Amino acid sequence: MCDTSTLDISAAAEAPSRRKAVPGKCIKCKAAKPNVAIRRIQYCRQCFVKASVTKFRMAVGKSRKRVAWPRTKVLIAFSGGPSSSAMLRLAADLQNMELKGTDAMPPFLGAVVGHIDESCLFPSCPESNICAIAANSGIQLETLALEHVFLPTEDHLALLELVQTALAPGAAKEQLCVRLSKPAKDASCAEQLQTLFSNLKSPTDKEDMLQAIKTALLVQLARNSGCGAILLGDSATRTAVKAMALTGRGRGFSLPLEVGAESQWFQDIVAIRPMRDFVAKEIAFFNRWTRQPSAFVPTFTTAEHRRASINRLTEAFIVELDQDFASTVPTVCRTLQKLETRPDALAAAPCLVCGMPAEPDAHTWRTRLTIDSNVPESTPDTSENDTFDITSCLCYSCQTMLRHTAPGAQLPGFCSSRLHAAAAGSSLVSENQDRLRKQIENFIISDSDSDDN
Amino acid sequence: MPRQCNICQTARAIIRRPKTGQRICKECFFYVFETEIHHTIVDNRLFKPGDRIGIGASGGKDSTVLAYVMKTLNERYNYGLELFLLSVDEGISGYRDDSLETVKRNQQQYDLPLKIVSYEQLYGWSMDSIVETVGRKNNCTFCGVFRRQALDRGALMLDLDHIVTGHNADDIAETILMNILRGDIPRLSRCTEIATMGDGYIGRSKPFKYAYEKEIVMYAYLKRLDYFSTECTYSPNAYRGYARQFLKDLEAVRPSAIIDIIYSGEAMKVAENVKLPTMTSCERCGYISSNSICKACVLLEGLERGVPKMGIAKASSKQIEQDAPEVARRGKAVEPVHFEKLREKALNIRKQRMLNAATSSCSKDTALCECTGDSCQ
Repeated sequence: MCDTSTLDISAAAEAPSRRKAVPGKCIKCKAAKPNVAIRRIQYCRQCFVKASVTKFRMAVGKSRKRVAWPRTKVLIAFSGGPSSSAMLRLAADLQNMELKGTDAMPPFLGAVVGHIDESCLFPSCPESNICAIAANSGIQLETLALEHVFLPTEDHLALLELVQTALAPGAAKEQLCVRLSKPAKDASCAEQLQTLFSNLKSPTDKEDMLQAIKTALLVQLARNSGCGAILLGDSATRTAVKAMALTGRGRGFSLPLEVGAESQWFQDIVAIRPMRDFVAKEIAFFNRWTRQPSAFVPTFTTAEHRRASINRLTEAFIVELDQDFASTVPTVCRTLQKLETRPDALAAAPCLVCGMPAEPDAHTWRTRLTIDSNVPESTPDTSENDTFDITSCLCYSCQTMLRHTAPGAQLPGFCSSRLHAAAAGSSLVSENQDRLRKQIENFIISDSDSDDN
Repeated sequence: MPRQCNICQTARAIIRRPKTGQRICKECFFYVFETEIHHTIVDNRLFKPGDRIGIGASGGKDSTVLAYVMKTLNERYNYGLELFLLSVDEGISGYRDDSLETVKRNQQQYDLPLKIVSYEQLYGWSMDSIVETVGRKNNCTFCGVFRRQALDRGALMLDLDHIVTGHNADDIAETILMNILRGDIPRLSRCTEIATMGDGYIGRSKPFKYAYEKEIVMYAYLKRLDYFSTECTYSPNAYRGYARQFLKDLEAVRPSAIIDIIYSGEAMKVAENVKLPTMTSCERCGYISSNSICKACVLLEGLERGVPKMGIAKASSKQIEQDAPEVARRGKAVEPVHFEKLREKALNIRKQRMLNAATSSCSKDTALCECTGDSCQ
């Protein structure tokens, strides 16, 4: 590895003389013929790869400065796509590089590649190919399959099942009620997962649920393998698309946590996004010139039209806009850097489904502004049976998703674990107490009651 | 077989509600639409009893429905508001002159006093003459900057407490998206506010902040309201067009997307270490501004000196100075009245009104009649 000081990008930006381009030559070495132009700056092949390596290293270093995490092992999230393949390569290089000087020790104690096997939902997913790429890096690979979320564990023997609540005709169908239910005896985990996704209405909802499951599994993988940090491979292009899509799905509350360079939302695990300064084009060239293979990972909207889902639409929109206005992606990323998580979001309880902060008044906000009934403040009758109203434990966006979900859908196991954790904490307990109180209301005597009452 | 209304379960459903996708009847639609606006007004405490409210009226669908709904709700829920129509005549022939005719009809229909202020009268430049000088590009900047001030000037002339505008949910969502795309952090933090204090004298708010554009059109159509619908004859804002199209697509994918975006926008928080501009007042006209001289005064100066690029183009001020023609002033502009003067006048009107109210039992105030004439400055 060459001397890093000559590759320091920010230092180059500060010194204008070194920044000066020699016409027709690479901006860095000023000798070779350029091979690629990234945002109108021309690089030769070698300098481009070197600059990418440095950029990645600086991104990790900067995150480290902002959020000091203990030196632990790191989980490199790896889907098999171009961005995470590039990240795997860069992170492996960073871990394996020769140590020079005192401060040049690798930022992590060790690394594990974490992969979520999606072949249950996408049979065309090239799983063996993806595992081969991961094996190539020489780092230990840990895999969890999506259907793993339905494996019974000690935390959740029963699953949450959405139930149709009996409401007066014309009353708001706002409440989301669940009951605890056992999974069907003869159904395998994979079948349960497929049933869940077939109960979700639109591709947008399916994408949301898939994202929620993958996040939960990655965190679980990190904990299982003793990692204190996760590297996520969101590129700049992906970050911009994600930010716009999250905005469109009503996730502004948790947005800074979901796209930020680093987030400590998962308490014991820091999530870092070191690829967020790389636009898609850079990643494509990096992979090509370092012969880093990557796989094609199918999604719910692969080969669908642009209005198939919010994610698909947003991606098409950002990519097109970026062609007309070349700085769109970096501008959106800069905007995001200036946003921060609200203090009430950090204090909020995690949403049962997505695990991101669930804002307490989301439900009221919606019902005040979207009236869909003429029965004021109707509450479903939950006193007789074992159903819970979980609306207050869900974030705004997951409320939207579940309102579209068919009754009878069984939610992943981590949802019931989270509900248990929340109930142990507070809110539901008091709600249940209220319910009990209501049942015995007539028998409680208060001071204000007159004698003849 | 006719479908039943999803809400009342009795009447025949005649529309599919854009916001929720429910099939509902006409009466239920009026009920939910009006009640949602009422919730917006009450939950955000937009007004207090006795407030004098100016309704920014352009004659278009949003402001026509706004005037109608404000009048209806004011009577139904006893807000105790005094309502006025406030119009700005930008001086765009073939567009504004026609729409102002609609506003004048609305004045008759709703029996509300009307005040029209014109660019010509306030600044000495109509939009037609500005476009003649500036060209078709960038003229929306002039129109937007001048309109904002013009409404405040009109409001001071009537001594109003508050201006309501017909910005709807689509407009707000579009602005949120656009500000993220353009990286405009100060505007991103401001655009979701439902009420702003403006210059500290006259508040502003958007009661239609959560009302879908489609539902406003539907309401106007079902109530057979008289409104004017034509696009402005001058070019539309190109970049906004992208955001608009994206929003329409999003709405098609998930109808709640518009209100979801507003929810997201409201939840966003600008990091504390990001510098936001501080507000002062303009040295020349006294209007609220983030610079020592407000945008309107800069633009006006540019127009007067024959360098209309001033305040728009990215060219350095030096370059602009060089390009300036020899003749310093064209003498076309009217010196805009200083805001302090307007505020003083407003205060006088208020005193007069209070005096009148005290002396005569007749509640109609003379000060108001004085000021509703078109020629009043």
